[in-house]
Amino acid sequence: MSSLKENLKVQIIEQLNLEDLSPADIVDDAPLFGDDGLGLDSIDALEFIVLLDSEYGIKIEDPAGAREIFYSLNSLASFIESNQK
Amino acid sequence: MKILGHSFINRKGAFLNGKEVVSCPENEAKFLRHIYKALEVNYPKFYKMDTLSKSVILADFILSPTYTDLTEQEDKLQLLFANDESSKRTDLSFIESYVPKEAASPSLFVYTLPNILTGELSIKHKWYGENTFFILDKFNAEFYLEQIRMSFSRGNEYCLCGWIGSVDKKNEECFLFLLSKSEGEVTFNELENILNTYRNE
Repeated sequence: MSSLKENLKVQIIEQLNLEDLSPADIVDDAPLFGDDGLGLDSIDALEFIVLLDSEYGIKIEDPAGAREIFYSLNSLASFIESNQK
Repeated sequence: MKILGHSFINRKGAFLNGKEVVSCPENEAKFLRHIYKALEVNYPKFYKMDTLSKSVILADFILSPTYTDLTEQEDKLQLLFANDESSKRTDLSFIESYVPKEAASPSLFVYTLPNILTGELSIKHKWYGENTFFILDKFNAEFYLEQIRMSFSRGNEYCLCGWIGSVDKKNEECFLFLLSKSEGEVTFNELENILNTYRNE
């Protein structure tokens, strides 16, 4: 799980073009969206959908559930671990 | 008209009204991140932005103590910005995202216009005035002064002007200056001298 999280941090920085962030800046249980976290928005949610599909072969079947999945790095990693084939 | 304040950012550091507020280590590749951290700015959206918007948000943060006359929802303020290569860097990154990878990046696409940075400022401060973005070969004080005079003649009370360009296509710089429509005159030489002083720091 910890290596998955470390990989995810690098992939998020690359996919979302967050070039001034380092993996250490992404706190595992902090919100990814909104002003309390990384300040991500709906455009970045699209990037997450692309990332899950291209890197992990996972498609988001229920967009309504995406908010919960994308809440934090922890929730994203748990979702990948449970759904990766 | 009167200059109320000016700020400047380049790889050497950040400055307000001619005084250094942050010094960047030599060869600091992520100098905008260094300035962001040194100023203890808390604006998470910063990390999502392209270089143009990041530079302006930092220069704006530094200049903000001079905004005392501006109100929230200020609609008599014109944003008057220019640079020398439009959004070329982001445009090229965006092309790279869809040519080899065949997956166009939405987060890059939203910054494929230079005037996005005036939107970022307007959203941050809730300013409702006019905004304009020009592409110029280089900083042109006469051009700015002409635009500022026209802006004031249309009824605006303030102009926040910015040059987010480079010197000789190499050294990035961001120069912001705020003017009010009041008695007096600002000369071409005065503006040029302020910028040249910063460049020679």
